[in-house]
Amino acid sequence: MTNGWVDIKNTDMMLIMGGNPAENHPCGFKWAIEAKRTRNAKIISVDPRFTRTSAVADLFCQIRAGADIAFLGGVINYAIENNRIAKDYIVNYTNAAFVVKSDFKLPGDTDGVFSGFDTGKHTYDRASWNYAGAGGAAGAAAPGALPPLPDKVEYDLTLQNPNCVFQLLKKHYSRYTPEMVERITGIPREQFLKAAELYTSIRKDGDLKKVGTIIYAVGWTQHSFGTQIIRTAAMLQLLLGNVGRAGGGVNALRGHSNIQGATDMAGLFDSLPGYLKVPTPADTSFDGWMKRITPTSSKPAPWDSWNYYSNTPKFMVSFLKTMYGDAATKQNEWAFNYLPKVDRDYSWTHLWDDMYRGTVKGMLAFGMNGVAIGPDSNKNIDALKKAEWLVVGEIYPDETSEFWKSPRVIAQGDMKEIQTTVYRLPCAGFAEKDGSFTNSARWLLWKNAAVPLVGDCRLDQGIVAQIFLKVRDLYKKEGGKFSDPILNLTWNYSDRLNPPLAEVLKEMNGKALADLEDPATKQQIKAGQQLPGFSWLKDDGTTACGIWIYAGSFTEAGNQTARRDPSDPSGMGVHPGWGWSWPANRRVLYNRASCDAEGKPWDASRRQVWWNESTQKWVGNDVPDFKADSHPKDHMGPFIMNPEGVGRIFAPLAAFADGPFPEHYEPIESPIVNPLHAGQSTNPMVTRFKDPDDKFGTTKDGFNVVCTTFRLTEHYHYWTKNNPMNVQLVPEPFIEMAAEMADEMGLRGGERVKVSSARGEYIAKAMVTKRIKSMMIDGKKTYQIGIPFHWGYRGIAEDEGKTARDLVNSLTHTATDPNAHTPEFKGFLVKVEKV
Amino acid sequence: MSQETLRIQKISGHAGTVPGEDTQREYTICKLIDTTTCIGCKACEVACMEWNDLPFGETIFGNSYQTMPETRWNYWNLILFNEHEREDGSLMWLMRKNQCMHCAEPGCLAACPSDGAIVQYTNGIVDFQQANCIGCGYCITGCPFDIPKLNPQTKRVFKCTLCTDRVGEGLEPACIKSCPTGCLHFGSKDDMKELAERRAKQLRDHSNYPNAGVYDPQGVGGTSVIYVLHDAANPELYGGLPKDPHIPWSVKLWKGPLKWLGNVAMVGGLIGLFVHYLRFGPKDRDDEEMKAGETKS
Amino acid sequence: MSQSGQLLPHGRVLRYELHERLTHWAAAFSYIYLLLTGLAFYTPWLFWIAVALGGGQISRMLHPWAGLMFFCAVIGMYSMWAKQMRATETDKKWWGAVGHYARNEDDKMPPAGRYNAGQKLLFWGFFWCSLLLLLTGAVLWFPELIPWNLRFLRYTAVLIHPAAALLTIGLFLIHIYMSVFAERGAFGSVIRGDVSVDFAKRYHPGWYDEIAGGSSPPRK
Repeated sequence: MTNGWVDIKNTDMMLIMGGNPAENHPCGFKWAIEAKRTRNAKIISVDPRFTRTSAVADLFCQIRAGADIAFLGGVINYAIENNRIAKDYIVNYTNAAFVVKSDFKLPGDTDGVFSGFDTGKHTYDRASWNYAGAGGAAGAAAPGALPPLPDKVEYDLTLQNPNCVFQLLKKHYSRYTPEMVERITGIPREQFLKAAELYTSIRKDGDLKKVGTIIYAVGWTQHSFGTQIIRTAAMLQLLLGNVGRAGGGVNALRGHSNIQGATDMAGLFDSLPGYLKVPTPADTSFDGWMKRITPTSSKPAPWDSWNYYSNTPKFMVSFLKTMYGDAATKQNEWAFNYLPKVDRDYSWTHLWDDMYRGTVKGMLAFGMNGVAIGPDSNKNIDALKKAEWLVVGEIYPDETSEFWKSPRVIAQGDMKEIQTTVYRLPCAGFAEKDGSFTNSARWLLWKNAAVPLVGDCRLDQGIVAQIFLKVRDLYKKEGGKFSDPILNLTWNYSDRLNPPLAEVLKEMNGKALADLEDPATKQQIKAGQQLPGFSWLKDDGTTACGIWIYAGSFTEAGNQTARRDPSDPSGMGVHPGWGWSWPANRRVLYNRASCDAEGKPWDASRRQVWWNESTQKWVGNDVPDFKADSHPKDHMGPFIMNPEGVGRIFAPLAAFADGPFPEHYEPIESPIVNPLHAGQSTNPMVTRFKDPDDKFGTTKDGFNVVCTTFRLTEHYHYWTKNNPMNVQLVPEPFIEMAAEMADEMGLRGGERVKVSSARGEYIAKAMVTKRIKSMMIDGKKTYQIGIPFHWGYRGIAEDEGKTARDLVNSLTHTATDPNAHTPEFKGFLVKVEKV
Repeated sequence: MSQETLRIQKISGHAGTVPGEDTQREYTICKLIDTTTCIGCKACEVACMEWNDLPFGETIFGNSYQTMPETRWNYWNLILFNEHEREDGSLMWLMRKNQCMHCAEPGCLAACPSDGAIVQYTNGIVDFQQANCIGCGYCITGCPFDIPKLNPQTKRVFKCTLCTDRVGEGLEPACIKSCPTGCLHFGSKDDMKELAERRAKQLRDHSNYPNAGVYDPQGVGGTSVIYVLHDAANPELYGGLPKDPHIPWSVKLWKGPLKWLGNVAMVGGLIGLFVHYLRFGPKDRDDEEMKAGETKS
Repeated sequence: MSQSGQLLPHGRVLRYELHERLTHWAAAFSYIYLLLTGLAFYTPWLFWIAVALGGGQISRMLHPWAGLMFFCAVIGMYSMWAKQMRATETDKKWWGAVGHYARNEDDKMPPAGRYNAGQKLLFWGFFWCSLLLLLTGAVLWFPELIPWNLRFLRYTAVLIHPAAALLTIGLFLIHIYMSVFAERGAFGSVIRGDVSVDFAKRYHPGWYDEIAGGSSPPRK
C-alpha cells in the first residue's frame, strides 16, 4: 500500500475493485467501515460477483472478469472530459507536462500495439517510449540496451503540446467511451456513468480537499495484464491528486500475513532485497552493473529531483557486505560475482515447467502447496512425477506432499511408476514462531511465539540452517563447482543451527563496520553499532545492511518492530510508536504531495506534513517522505524514488514490458474479440508454454462461460480444510452461478455440477444466487461463475469421502503477466454441465 | 450470594415474590447490532462457540453462506444471509446476527413452569439455568423469535446467555469483542439506543435508505439486543425477524385467565364438595339411621 | 365383558369382574400421577409436588409415559364399557331430576341401569378429554420437532391441554366424592368387586332387576 490500513479511515471515497476486503481482510476492513460511519465515506464495489464488500457498498457494478482496464480507462476519460482532475497537482507532481518523443505511437493508431513492436519476434523496441529532451545518462547505455532518459526533459506546463503526456493520455483514453466500456465490461452505460460520476465527485468544481482511495487485491494482479490494471489505477489516482494524501493512495491488500515481508526480502527471482535489480550476464563488472541499474535524474531543468535510487550503490555494497562479510572487498568488486546472473524468466510457472521438462530435479517446498495453488494443477502434478525428489515442510499432509493420491494420478493409473522420493518435514505453525510480519501497510510487527513446538516439529530457520550448514560442509570436504559463494556466506548467529530471528532482523537493519560520522549533524556511530537508518549507508564497505528499506527497524534503541504504543496524537491513524514501517517509519508514502507547491496542505483538517518556514524543514504528524530541508521553491518532486521526481502518468522505456500506458487487452481465454482492435486482441507480450499440459480453450470448443476463482472469509487457502471450526462454517466446496443460468440448465442449488476447461475438470455443488447476473459482453449474452478454491484431496471432509477431491486450479492456465509473471487465475473460459 | 439474588428480578415458575424485584441500581445493558456494517464474517459465531466451550459439529451445504439453517442447542449465534432485490433493481445481501433478544418481557420465562429454570437479571439479561430446567420446551412456544433449542439427549434448553459470566466481570460479551468491523456495540440501553438512532438517521440522510431505523420491539417491552436495519419497515427480509413480536396470545391466555379460572374452579370445587358433605352427608345416611333403629330385615 | 353381575351369597352382588377392576386402577394410578405432576407444571404454587415426586426433570420425563399408560387404560375401559355407556331415555329424565340426586333423594330418581347418567358423563368426559390430552400431549412432548411454520400446533396445545385437564379434574373431584364419600360401598366395588343387594337396589335398580330377574321397586 502507498498508504495504510488505519489511514483508510481518513478517506471520503473508496473504489474497491479486484478485491473483496470485507471477505478476505475483515479486520483491516474495519477502517473502511470507520470511514463510512464517521465521515459518510462512500464505497463503490466493482466485481464479477456481488460480494460481502458489495453488501456494504453504496454502489455496485458487476464487471466481466478481465475488463478492469476498460473500466478504469473509462473513468480516466470521464474525469478528463468533465474536468474533474487535480490540475495543480498533475502539473507539478506528475509527468503530465513532459513531452514525449514524436516517434511514439499509441495503440489506437497502430491497431493495438505501441510503437516499436516486432510482430515476428513478439518484442518491443521501447526506444520511442521516452521523453523528448536533451542529454542522456552519464553512463550511456551498453550496446543493444535501451537509450537513457534525457537529463533535461522538454515540458509544457499548459498541457497543450499535442505530444505532452497529458494530451497523449487524453487521446489514448478518448476511445474508452461509456459505450465502449459497456461493450467490454458488460456494465450498462448508465451504471458505469453513475460510478464514474461518484468516484470523481471528489474533484467536482475544483475541490481539492476531498480524497479518494483505490483498494485492490489479486482480482487485479491475477491477469495477463495485471500490472497494467494497477498502473491504470495509479494513473487515475495521480490525475485526481489522491496519491500522498491521507485517505488516498493506491492500496494493495496482500493475501498472506507476511507476503509483504517476502516480497520486500526478494522472495522473487528478479529482485534483490529492497527491490534492487538483479545482475544479468551482461553485467560483467560491478561498476557496469551499478551504472545500468542506478538511475540518473530526468526532469524539467528548473525542477529538482532527489532520485533516491541514485543511492543504489550504497544499498548494494551494504547488502553484499551483509551477505559475504569480509569476503566482499573493494578489490573483488564486493564479491558481486557470487550472485547468480539472471539470464531468463525463472518465475513460478517457469520453474514448474522446468521440472516438467526434467531440468529441475527437485524442490524444497515450505508451507507452500504448489500443486493446489497452481495454475494448471495437473501440469504441476505431472512435473512432480518427473522430479527426483521433493521435500515438503508443512504442519499437516497436503496435496503437494501426497501428489500421487490426486484424482489425476488415480485416473492415469501410473502411481507405481512414480520414482520421486518425497520427504516430509514437520514444521511449526504461525503461533509457534516468533519473528516479524510485514503487513500490507508496510508495518513491520514483531510477534512472540504463543505456544511451544509440539513433538518433532522444527522452526523453519532451523531446518534451513541445518541443510545449509550440511551442504557447506560437503562443499568444504568435497569441493564443487564454484563453492566460494557458499563457503563465504556469513552465518554469524549465536546459535548457528537455529538462528534467532531477532539477530536476523538486526542483520537486515544493518550496522556500521567502522566508526562513522554524519557531516551535517556531527552525529557519530561506533563500529558494530546498529544503523539508525538508510541515510547512513555507504558504498565504501563501511556499512552492512541486509535490506535497505528495513534500516531503522532494529536500532541501538532496540527492536522498533516490537513497539506497541497505541497513541495517535494527530488522530489520523499514524500511531508512530506502534511497530515500525518502512521506509523510515513513514506511514503515507509520497506525503509531500499532500501539500501544494508552497508546502501548505491541500486539506487543513487532515494535515500530514507541511513546510515549516521558521525551522526551514518539512515537519508533520507523519515522517515526511522527502528531503527534509528541500525548500518548496526548489520544486523538488514528491515521488523521490522516480528519476523524474514526479509521478509517472507515462511510464517510459523499460518500466513495463507491454506499454507506457495501459491498454485494454482481452484475457488469453476470452469470449469475445477485443472491440478496440481485433488484430491484437490479447496482450502481445504474453508468451505461452507449448507443453502437452498447456492447452487453451476457445468459445468454438464450447467454453462459453467466464470463470473466476475467489476466497471465502471462513477459509484460508488450503489449510483450513483441516480445521474442524472452519469446516463447520463452510463444509463443502461449491460453484457460484447466476440464478438465471441455473434456471436455464434446470439446476437447483445443491445439485452437483461439472466445470471443465481445456485443462481439467472440477465437480462441486452449485450455489445458485442472485448475486451474479448474466451480462451482455459486446452484445453477446455471457455468464460468469465464481469458484472458491479452498478444497482439494486432503482434509477432514476429503478424507471422509464427502467431497469430490478436485482442485480448482486444474482449470486455470499457465500464461502470465509479462511484468510480474502472475498467472491469470481470474478470467478464463469453462463450460458448465450437470453431473 | 446475597448480591446475586438481588440481581435477579424475575424467576420462572416461581411462587411468591422475587427478592431482586425493583432493586434496579445499575443500568440495563444492551447489545447493538448494526446490520448495515455487518460483513457476515462469522467471527462472532466462532467467538461464541469458543467462549462457551461448545463443540464443533456437522453441517451440510445449504445453497447459502449461512452456516446452518437455524441456531442449535449447541450453536447459539448465527448470521442469517438473505438476498433481496430492491425496487430499483439493486441488490441487497442482508446479514443479520441472530441470537436471543433478551426481551424485557420474556415469553420464555412467562411460559416456563419450572422454578428458577429461567431468570431475568436486573441488567436485562435473560438466562437459562439448566440445572433447574425440566426439558418441557414450553419456552420454545413462548418465544416469538424461535430461539430456545432443546438438547434431545439431556433434555435441557440452551440459548445465548449474553455472556452473563463476562458481563458480570465487567467485560463485554465474546461476540462484541471479536467483531472486526465494530458493527457490534455494547453499553447501557440508553447509550446504545442513542447510538442506534444516530446511525439510523445517518443512513436515512446519507445512504439512500429512507426506511432505516432501529429495531427495539415494544411488543415484548423492548429488548436488550437491538438492531439498526436498512429497512426497519420490513424486518422480515432479515431472515424472518418478526415485525411485531409479542408473547403469543395462547401463552398469555394460558398463564393468565385460564390458570386463574382453573384455580378458582378447583379450589371452589373442593370447598363446595366439602360443604355438600357437611350438609347432606353420605347417600345412605337415612338408611343407617333406619338400620340403627331396626331389627334385622 | 360382563353385562350382568352375579348374585352372591350373604346378600351380595358381583358388580365388577377382576379385569374391570384392574383396568380401573391402572387408569386411576396413572391419572393420579398425571394429576399431581400436571398440577405441578400448571402453577408455581404447586411446583413443589414435582420436586417431592423425584424432581422436576423426572416428573417431566415420566408424565407423558404415564399419559400413554392412562390412555391405554382409557381405551381398555372404552372397549369394556362403551356399549353400556350409551345414552338412553332414562338418562334424560335423570338429568331432569339431578336436583333430587344432589339432595340424596335417590328414591325420586328414575331407575338407573348399570351406569347412571352422571357416571356416563364421567365416562365420556374422560374419554374425549383423554383423547385431547393425548393429541396435545404428543405436541407438548416433542415441541422441538414442531417447525416454526407449524407453531400454531404448539400454541393450540398449550391451551387445550390444561383446559382438558381441568375438565377431567372437575369430573375427578366429583367422582372421588361420589365413590368414596357419597355412595358408601362403591369403593369396595372396585376393590373386591361386589356390592350389597341394598346398594344395587338403591343406586342401580334397573341393573339389579336384570340380574335378579323381575322388577322391584326402588328402596326407600
